[in-house]
Amino acid sequence: MNREVSDMNILDSFCEKFCNVVKKHMDYVVVSGFVAIASGRIRGTEDIDMIIPKISREKFIKLHEELVENGFQCMQSDNPEEIHDLYLKEKTSVRYTYKNRPVPEMEVAFSKDILDGYQIKTKTKLPITGLDIWFSSINMNIAFKEEYLKSGKDLEDARHLRIVFSDMVDEKEIEAIKEMIRKLRL
Amino acid sequence: MNATRDKTHMEFVENWAKKFRESPAECKKIQNEFINALFEKNANFLKRLAAQPGGPEKIIRLYRIKNVKAYEELLGIENP
Repeated sequence: MNREVSDMNILDSFCEKFCNVVKKHMDYVVVSGFVAIASGRIRGTEDIDMIIPKISREKFIKLHEELVENGFQCMQSDNPEEIHDLYLKEKTSVRYTYKNRPVPEMEVAFSKDILDGYQIKTKTKLPITGLDIWFSSINMNIAFKEEYLKSGKDLEDARHLRIVFSDMVDEKEIEAIKEMIRKLRL
Repeated sequence: MNATRDKTHMEFVENWAKKFRESPAECKKIQNEFINALFEKNANFLKRLAAQPGGPEKIIRLYRIKNVKAYEELLGIENP
């Protein structure tokens, strides 16, 4: 990807560094607010949301150890077995940050239903972001923000995505995802 | 938020998105300055807060830090 490091802000470099470790171990997908921010939405956020497949404790320990080697710390615990068993396995997300810096943070959660699985399956790269990372699809993000999250900020994010990616917006797919959300989450 | 603010803010969002679609590199520079400034502001504030009496405890509560060991330098904890 043709890009200068100076083209990246603090959130971009944090996210790409984190994803570069995770991708060596498993699939992942970055979802929600950061998709809009990486796509030019001018607002702040403290956290980036990531979904990973449900993995074994052993596999998670290897991931955690490499994250720590790369300067990341988990805010909940430094014990990977505890992070896996007491948080992720129990459907509670955990937050990773750089050591001694509480923000930005990567909020990591296991995939919890077929909707999350679909997000991972339909992951996409978005060249306009300048980032070489996997995002959940534009249609998925619009559907979640309009049907599930619905705050003022989320509706503005959806509007931003609809304009920036107007050529990728597929109303039929958005409606199908909204239907899945209504069945599984509401 | 009142309705007027909602309407005008959504107009800003739409205009910015159109501008980003037309000139992403130019807009990215503006966005980077904005985002970096937020984090610099936060880092400077946390340094000042950590130096206040009770400040480290406030930071722990603010971010719900359980793994305190990983943030000792930020919290000003010496020789634990």
